[in-house]
Amino acid sequence: MATRLQYENNCEVGVFSKLTNAYCLVAIGGSENFYSTFEAELADVIPVVKTSIAGTRIIGRLCAGNKKGLLLPHNTTDQELQHLRNSLPDSVVVQRIEERLSALGNCISCNDHVALTHPDLDKETEELIADVLGVEVFRQTVAGNIIVGSYCTFSNIGGLVHPHTSIEDLDELSTLLQVPLVAGTVNRGSDVIAAGLTVNDWTAFCGSDTTATELSVIESVFKLREAKPSALVDEMRKSLIDTYV
Amino acid sequence: MPRKPKKHNHSMRHRLVTFSPFGRSKAMATRSRMATRGVEKHERQNKDLATSSLNGFKYNMKDKIQQSDSSDDEEFEGDVQADFVFFDPKLSDFHGVKVLLQTYLDNLQWDLSGFVDLILGQPTVGTVVKIENDEDDGVYSVVSALSLERYKASSCFLFCVFMDSKCVLELKDFLLKVCQDTDVLGKLKSLVGEHAQHVGLLVSQRVVNLPPQLLPPLYDGLFDEVGWATEDEPTKELRSSFRFKFYLIISKIYKHKNADQNRGTVKNGEESVIYNRPEDEIFFEVPSGMFSMLILCYQCANLTSIKCFCSLAHGHSVFAYMHSRLLLMRQLKNYRPMGLVMAVEACKISSFREQLHLLIDE
Repeated sequence: MATRLQYENNCEVGVFSKLTNAYCLVAIGGSENFYSTFEAELADVIPVVKTSIAGTRIIGRLCAGNKKGLLLPHNTTDQELQHLRNSLPDSVVVQRIEERLSALGNCISCNDHVALTHPDLDKETEELIADVLGVEVFRQTVAGNIIVGSYCTFSNIGGLVHPHTSIEDLDELSTLLQVPLVAGTVNRGSDVIAAGLTVNDWTAFCGSDTTATELSVIESVFKLREAKPSALVDEMRKSLIDTYV
Repeated sequence: MPRKPKKHNHSMRHRLVTFSPFGRSKAMATRSRMATRGVEKHERQNKDLATSSLNGFKYNMKDKIQQSDSSDDEEFEGDVQADFVFFDPKLSDFHGVKVLLQTYLDNLQWDLSGFVDLILGQPTVGTVVKIENDEDDGVYSVVSALSLERYKASSCFLFCVFMDSKCVLELKDFLLKVCQDTDVLGKLKSLVGEHAQHVGLLVSQRVVNLPPQLLPPLYDGLFDEVGWATEDEPTKELRSSFRFKFYLIISKIYKHKNADQNRGTVKNGEESVIYNRPEDEIFFEVPSGMFSMLILCYQCANLTSIKCFCSLAHGHSVFAYMHSRLLLMRQLKNYRPMGLVMAVEACKISSFREQLHLLIDE
């Protein structure tokens, strides 16, 4: 299910939070409402960690991660790095990388299998992404925009991209990512998808300005209506395969 | 969609890739130019939203090189030409107007989106300032006058049911809550309570470095529109809802930390109050007589809401741009940001308009 919320009157929830299948990062400051909405949805399943990155609250745009790892920019402080290493599950590799383009959330968009990156990222960074996040990396643009991390967001099930993406681009990206994609908007016509929306395999959070139409598009492309936390689905799948034999 | 090549006369240097026109405007150096009233304002009839874009009034700014604030352009290599156009508010301006109103009520969590919808749902009274042929359609300023009575929850039957006036209730509650002074509280209560049918909320927000020459036509336009609305609106209720006797203004100022103390320890040359906007100075303390019948200052919880406009003793204006913010911070270290709520009688508005012209056009 998709939840609508705000951070201090600001509907750009993807800026102040980072949601993956294994953990959720939430910015400090702001009212407790923001944090408690995430807690209410996710507390039983994955850890919800309050943090700052480089002393700022725009953590969603500065870091990139999936269930296998988390990449942090070079200006993350040592305390923040230690705090994240302590709070996140051991299966998650937390790595601070030296990259000139430090807004990693804007430059990298990923799920658990594939990542799209800014065309100007360093070669070493690309290798680190493949290593830490365990993904296949593609340098791409979305609707002519090079900051792919901002204009598209996808999970293991589906993805939402910039509204002006052409059909050919949509097909190409869909083939690369191996998930169905839809071009749409969030927060009442805003085309900065990843700033207004943060999503994982079973839940999504978007800004409170999101219209009912946009919300239904999000729920259908990310298949949130009948979604369950992936750990449970995987377990079910194992037992199902057994019976086929 | 590939980026179109920028047109020569609109080349904007140092264009930041930011997500909001507000951030972009900070990177733009606007050369102050003299506004020429080249376009006649014609009598406004009932507006059709679809044609509202055709009613944009253009203000071609002629160059005025002797302006003292041209020295702020030193760090930018070129001039930026900008033709500002005035439009009626449209629903598509939602994001731009919302950004401008972000700190309207301090850091209160309220129905800001609903409030913006009220402003945009009123195309007959209100103006939105944009730049001509701006590909990003950024909103640089918004002014409007909202009738507190029209948007009260109970009387919403006549006007469309979706008109959510929860925001107006929250706004009224906020004002009553921040009022510490008991005798002002009484006046304020009556303004937002029993006498709400005569009160118009004057909303006026702009980007930091909007040229001040735009202000007189902006305000003149607004008050003219209010006058026309009392005659042109389709229903009797709407017409009477614009017959304001008072205007309520919410704004921000900087008060010197020692200003309240009677020992008068304010150093020479330092003002006791710094105004973010020139019209606030006129409303707040006019030597020729008090404009405002109600003045309320409240402690601003959100200390980062700095709009960099300082007015000095002799009424000249100095614009501080983002890159001179450090200097401003040093200047402002003795000042406390305060919210300001003022109520002005509608009969004094024509005098205010003249004062504004005198202040800006000098």
